[in-house]
Amino acid sequence: MTIREALVLNLQKLPEDRQMGGVAMKKMILIFVVTSVWVGAIGILTTEGRDWARSILWNPYKQEMVDTSKYKKNPPYTMAYCNASVSNAWAVVGVQAIKYVVQQNKDKVKDFLFTDAMDKADKQIADMEDLMAKRVDLIIIRAATEAALDPIVTRAHQQGIPVICFSRRVKSDNFVSFVAASNYTMGRAMAIWLAQYLKGKGNIVLLAGFAGAGSAEERLIGIQEILPSYPGIKVLEKQYTQYSTSKGKQVMQAMIQSYGKKIDGVLCVGGSEAIGAIEALQEAGMKVPITGEPYNGFMKRVQQYGFPALAVDYSPAMAGECVTVGLNVLQGLAVPKYYQGKRYFIATHDTEDIKSDLPWKEATFPDRPDSFVFGYGLPPAEWLK
Amino acid sequence: MVSVKLLFEKYGIYIFLLLLVVFSSLVSPTFLRPQNLVNILNPAAALGMVAIGQTFVILTGRGGLDLSVASVMATVAVIAAAYTRGQDTLLLPAAIICLSFGVLVGLINGGLVTKLRVPPIMATLGMMIILQGVRFIYTKGIPEGTYPPLLRFLGTGFVGFVPTSVLSLSAMMIIAVLVLNKTVFGRQLYAVGGNINAAILSGYNTDLILILVYIISGVAASIGGLYLAGWIGVADNWVGQGYEVDSIAAVVMGGTSFEGGRGGVFGTIAGVLILVILYNLVLLLHLPVQTQYMVKGGVIIFAASFYVRRRAR
Repeated sequence: MTIREALVLNLQKLPEDRQMGGVAMKKMILIFVVTSVWVGAIGILTTEGRDWARSILWNPYKQEMVDTSKYKKNPPYTMAYCNASVSNAWAVVGVQAIKYVVQQNKDKVKDFLFTDAMDKADKQIADMEDLMAKRVDLIIIRAATEAALDPIVTRAHQQGIPVICFSRRVKSDNFVSFVAASNYTMGRAMAIWLAQYLKGKGNIVLLAGFAGAGSAEERLIGIQEILPSYPGIKVLEKQYTQYSTSKGKQVMQAMIQSYGKKIDGVLCVGGSEAIGAIEALQEAGMKVPITGEPYNGFMKRVQQYGFPALAVDYSPAMAGECVTVGLNVLQGLAVPKYYQGKRYFIATHDTEDIKSDLPWKEATFPDRPDSFVFGYGLPPAEWLK
Repeated sequence: MVSVKLLFEKYGIYIFLLLLVVFSSLVSPTFLRPQNLVNILNPAAALGMVAIGQTFVILTGRGGLDLSVASVMATVAVIAAAYTRGQDTLLLPAAIICLSFGVLVGLINGGLVTKLRVPPIMATLGMMIILQGVRFIYTKGIPEGTYPPLLRFLGTGFVGFVPTSVLSLSAMMIIAVLVLNKTVFGRQLYAVGGNINAAILSGYNTDLILILVYIISGVAASIGGLYLAGWIGVADNWVGQGYEVDSIAAVVMGGTSFEGGRGGVFGTIAGVLILVILYNLVLLLHLPVQTQYMVKGGVIIFAASFYVRRRAR
């Protein structure tokens, strides 16, 4: 149900609600006014009523909006996804999500082009040049690197081709909108959950992602913002795992050898390495709380082995949202400069501040491969084939 | 004095391995714990299997090496998961398919090197990239399936107190040593590596030997890939990433010369052990895991310079 539909239902119910006492009535009016303001604001941003991520609804600061009237065109459109690579399952599911949203909007999208740079910045620059030469109406880019792709994205921007950055931005602000989900929030949520689960006391180890990668470093910063508030939580060791399952297992095994039963919890920021870590913990017979991303292999193992866990998603479905944002741009509707994608917290155990958005088993798919990545807003199963 | 020098030159790698073990157990009290040794030996077994195949290729000399091994490992890993879907009964047919795949890749590599005269580094590099593409088309980016318990047992289990993977590696090692030292093929292989013109003049079918060598490497990589998959337990498109460099490093450290005709399997296994112990030590000493890359690079350069100096004398 969208917020707008919920509001309509609320309005229909109002006469009955009037029978409530004065305080309850005031509360209702307050909720109504607040909701109306939000829905009004959202209505400006969207063509259709739709639910927005709570990260947008909870942003306490002014949302920087981009006027896109100069990009307004009549449909049908030719759009493109200039992808860094499809070298991992997350990126693959992202492409499927785009195809799904494009299919749903086939009356507006005449043609949708895909390029794959195989993680090479030079190839992606050439891909961008091709797309610009083909005079596509809008480009969604997941940049191989922030710096290398910046000049070409800037050129496209200056030539009047709207560019939307997805998940990995370019260095400058020369794009219309950046669609991603906060890695800082992710790190904070993981740290809060683990610290609260351990009741503020215990030894933990920190498994970081790929050394130097923006996503990995931002999650670490988020964690560092929280941990000082819990002086009873001691970080025994931090190691990078290069987002790799086998490195995750190797590193966790070595940590188990070094610290053994002293480890009370594992703060792991990624999905692939969480699978390796949980394998190592299970083999050592240590059932300690662990965090990760909802990679199916991790979800299945948590359920099967019975670990306390939190998974925070970085949904590949955000790729599909880029298409929606792109369509808004081409219809001249204002869009947020920094668009925060939707996300779930999925926990086996709730803590004071981190409550699970859905039961663990609803985010676990026994029939799907280990490398499948779950996330908010994924298209129906038949589209993910 | 001379005999000590000779001893060091001939058995330098084993002495180094012994010193490394002693050093490791001194600096890290956890090193010699049985569980830590198991942690070292399980991934070492997979690397050892690949490195045995690599030894055969490098022994042929004239720049012979196989860069496609890691790609073969990853490809068989995804094939095995998709084909068995976690069922033990399907493991044997899956293994046959995987080994046949290794044979096919080796046959193509060998054919390119012998018949089309493509330098081995280019032929196997090309094959590595082609296999990546094949894998992504086959899996559509998301590898399907899971590994059967039997494969997990092979990758992580024990017979008595010995890890299964170590037993398997030992068996492969014995076979490799017998093939290299007790068969006509083995003797001809050393001859080809030592002096290919002499080998041709002696009437050896050098092309056949080279093709067989690449087939052996492909099969060894397939077996290594299956064991590594059993150890990790997750079907992943990048199983074995970096094993091409690791296996070459182990072979070079083990004293097998790029000039060909010199070296053998025991040295390679010692090289494998040195490599994985150093990796483990990095973690036990709480150094950043990226230090492993520096260790790997440093060891390759050190080993290569050591043997070049030795041979120059």
